[in-house]
Amino acid sequence: MTLKECYAALGGDYDDVLGRLPERLVQKFVLKFLNDGSYDLLCRSLADGDRAEAFRAAHTIKGVCANLGFSALLESSEQLTEALRDGAPPQPGEEELIRRVGEDYQRTVQAIQAFQGALGA
Amino acid sequence: MKNKTTRFLITSLIGVALLCVCVFSFFAIHMSNQSARTINQVGTLYMSSMSQQISVHFESIISLQMDQLRMLTDTITSDAVHRDQALQEELVAGAKARDFNYLAFYSSGGEFEMLHGDQLTVTDPEPFLASLRKGEQKVAIGTNTRGEKVILLGMPSPHAPTPEHNCAALVAGLPVSYISDNLSLEENSERAYSFIIRRDGSFVIRTNEAYRNNYFERVRALYEDVSGMTADQYIEALDAAMAENRDYTTEFVMGGERFHLYCTHLPYSEWYLITFLPYGSMDTIVNGFSREWGSMTVFSGVIILTALMLVFYKYYGLTRQQLREVEEARRAAEAAQKDAEHANRAKSEFLSNMSHDIRTPMNAIVGMTAIATANIDDQQQVKNCLKKITLSSKHLLGLINDVLDMSKIESGKMTLNMDQISLREVVDSIVSICQPQVKAKHQQFDVFIHDISTENVLCDSVRLNQVMLNLLSNAIKFTPEGGEIHMALYEEESPKGEDFVRIQIQVKDNGIGMSKDFVSHIFDSFAREDSARVHRTEGTGLGMAITKFIVVDAMGGSIDVDSAQGKGTEFNVTLDLEKADVVEEDMILPNWNMLVVDDDRQLCESTAAALQSIGVNAEWTLDGESAVEMVVKRHQRQDGYHIILLDWKLPGMDGIATARRIREALGDDAVPILLISAYDWGEIEHSAREAGITGFISKPLFKSTLFNSLRQFAGDLEEKREEAAQTEQRRDLSGKRILLAEDNELNWEIASELLSEEGLVLDWAENGQICVEMLNESPPGYYDAILMDIRMPVMGGYEATQVIRTLERPDRDLPIIAMTADAFAEDVKRSLDCGMNAHVAKPIDVREVMRLLDKFIK
Repeated sequence: MTLKECYAALGGDYDDVLGRLPERLVQKFVLKFLNDGSYDLLCRSLADGDRAEAFRAAHTIKGVCANLGFSALLESSEQLTEALRDGAPPQPGEEELIRRVGEDYQRTVQAIQAFQGALGA
Repeated sequence: MKNKTTRFLITSLIGVALLCVCVFSFFAIHMSNQSARTINQVGTLYMSSMSQQISVHFESIISLQMDQLRMLTDTITSDAVHRDQALQEELVAGAKARDFNYLAFYSSGGEFEMLHGDQLTVTDPEPFLASLRKGEQKVAIGTNTRGEKVILLGMPSPHAPTPEHNCAALVAGLPVSYISDNLSLEENSERAYSFIIRRDGSFVIRTNEAYRNNYFERVRALYEDVSGMTADQYIEALDAAMAENRDYTTEFVMGGERFHLYCTHLPYSEWYLITFLPYGSMDTIVNGFSREWGSMTVFSGVIILTALMLVFYKYYGLTRQQLREVEEARRAAEAAQKDAEHANRAKSEFLSNMSHDIRTPMNAIVGMTAIATANIDDQQQVKNCLKKITLSSKHLLGLINDVLDMSKIESGKMTLNMDQISLREVVDSIVSICQPQVKAKHQQFDVFIHDISTENVLCDSVRLNQVMLNLLSNAIKFTPEGGEIHMALYEEESPKGEDFVRIQIQVKDNGIGMSKDFVSHIFDSFAREDSARVHRTEGTGLGMAITKFIVVDAMGGSIDVDSAQGKGTEFNVTLDLEKADVVEEDMILPNWNMLVVDDDRQLCESTAAALQSIGVNAEWTLDGESAVEMVVKRHQRQDGYHIILLDWKLPGMDGIATARRIREALGDDAVPILLISAYDWGEIEHSAREAGITGFISKPLFKSTLFNSLRQFAGDLEEKREEAAQTEQRRDLSGKRILLAEDNELNWEIASELLSEEGLVLDWAENGQICVEMLNESPPGYYDAILMDIRMPVMGGYEATQVIRTLERPDRDLPIIAMTADAFAEDVKRSLDCGMNAHVAKPIDVREVMRLLDKFIK
């Protein structure tokens, strides 16, 4: 699996990211995404009911995704960020947003793991 | 044919009219005769009855008097004594009582013995006496002593008073008037009148008018002719009738009046009653009837004739109309035949021309192919041959295209393919197509665009091209070397409304021109002026016919031609074109100063106006010398022109020389100088570049032409300016130390990697709190700038910035640039409000970050 295929699998914009970063760095940072704790923080904060922290975590995910060109996760996390911004009370549909962020995150992670596996092989 | 029909119609009309007149005349005459006969019959009937009536009346009067007389006679008895006084007195008294004027004894010897009244004489005693002797009662006429006529009534008396005298009868006398009054013989002239005659014709009772004593004498004296007989014949006939004792009737004209005569015998006498009936009244009635009949006849005749005339007239009109139609049809057919013959002849001529025209390039193609084949190894030669083959083929193709177009037109299949077109593009392409030909003939070619504001219109660009190309190529073809060709486009308001624009295309040359005769045929198919001058000029003779069809029939425009032999030709095409529904590009250039140099004042004004409308402050002048002056003056005022447009062909100093002088005067090549040219500038490009010409701009100068050309040069200028500015200000930022506050390791690594590549040195602070601490612990000026994430745990970017700005450090005002995934306008504002210098959004754009660092690092 190539990096480009990996981007296709996780719903990212490979050309966009290449416009900003050299391929070498892209690969490096993509792999590092697996170690990023922002998603865990988001899940924990939501479970604890700490909405401010959850907002920050979603915001961080959004920033990272923007940098790496993970368009799908960027979009869902951005929506969640806005839903959580300024400690706003839970709105109907928030659960759905959280679920979508989870899905996109899992998909991203699986794609990167597949890519990592391919590298290892 | 016409005359024959007319003659027949007139003849038959006259014939029918004559027949009508004859029939009606016959009827009239017949009826008239019939009525005359009828009158005659009626007259006879009437007269006989009337005569009979008079006769009966006469008889009764006479018998009445006879009875009276008999009563007197009865008083005489046989015993009576002759001359008995008493008897005589008794008789006289009786006579007086019975109104007898006379009374006498009449002797058998024919002598009267008057008892009462004067002595009497019998006019014709013989028959009277004879009758009396026979014992018959008789009436006779007699006269008294005074000669007055007296009616004598004779009553035979058996008892003669004087036997010696042999008395035969007692005779009583009455005046004639008694009878005539009683018979009412005198009638008014309108009706019948009668008189009584004796056999010899003498009157017994006569009318007043008859002054003679004898009727026969009167007839003889007065009338030469009675009903076709002489007077004597008439009298004979009458006499014969009287002798036979039968009634006689006849009809004759007397004194201009028709009379009916009836003669009958009266009883007791030898008298005859003759009655005349003048036909006057009857004639009047009958004639009136006849007249009425006649006028009715004439009237009906006239009506029938009128009707006939009407029918005839209508039929005549119809016939004439039919004749006219036939005539027209014949003429049309003749004209059509003529046209067909003409077209046929023209086509034949065309074919013979064409065969020549086609053969020429075909010969060239065949010949050149042969030469090329023979010299296949000589590349130069082959190239030359191929070039000529191409030219000939193109020419051939042109011929064939024209012929195809013409056949399309003739079969009505040419339709327009309307599309949005740009007049500028059309004219540009025309100019570039024509340039090689113009150049080959060393002609002066000028295109002038006059205030065209609507460049985009709806039209068939192929056909419009064809029209312009036809006009221009004709101008080029028929203008000798060194001549002038001028093309101009004008725009006017269209009478068709606001959505339309009227475009005038003018093509003018000073070539050989055309004869007046030929101008009137110029738009005909296959027309080519047949003279020695144009004999060598090739073409199909279809171009103008096609052009006219496109302009007039297909596009609804008009085309005018004005030409004089030896002076040149001018074509004017007027088209109303619909404006294209496009949002025209907003053409605005910076407010530069520009100079336009051209010897054509109109072009200068028009171009300057176009430039003003796209935001350029334009000035113009007519020659090179003044242009150099103006440029130098402005330059000295430090307010030089940004761009100069120079015409190549100028009087005196030309464009290239002018450019050279300007460059010398200014001493640099910063000001772009563009050369205006309608020609392919390939030939002059080298010398122009050497003289300092920056570029070229091609005529026609539409607004968009100017805008596009200048924008390109202007773009270059702007870019140059920017580049210059950048190279001036751009500093080497390598080695600068940047503190990056970012809570996410991944983001940090990305930023760190990217910025390190630019030569920056980065330190990482994991949140705002750490960032403040790191800065605080560093010597002043250690960090050149801070890149600050906003959303961080412990302390966010806003707070951190606010804290840093309040630190007791000399470098607390160092540049702080927000770097965050939030990119809303309020985020930017909040960043600035917190004291940050700038704001960049993630993903990190290295160039933007470097630009900002460059801007803010002192």
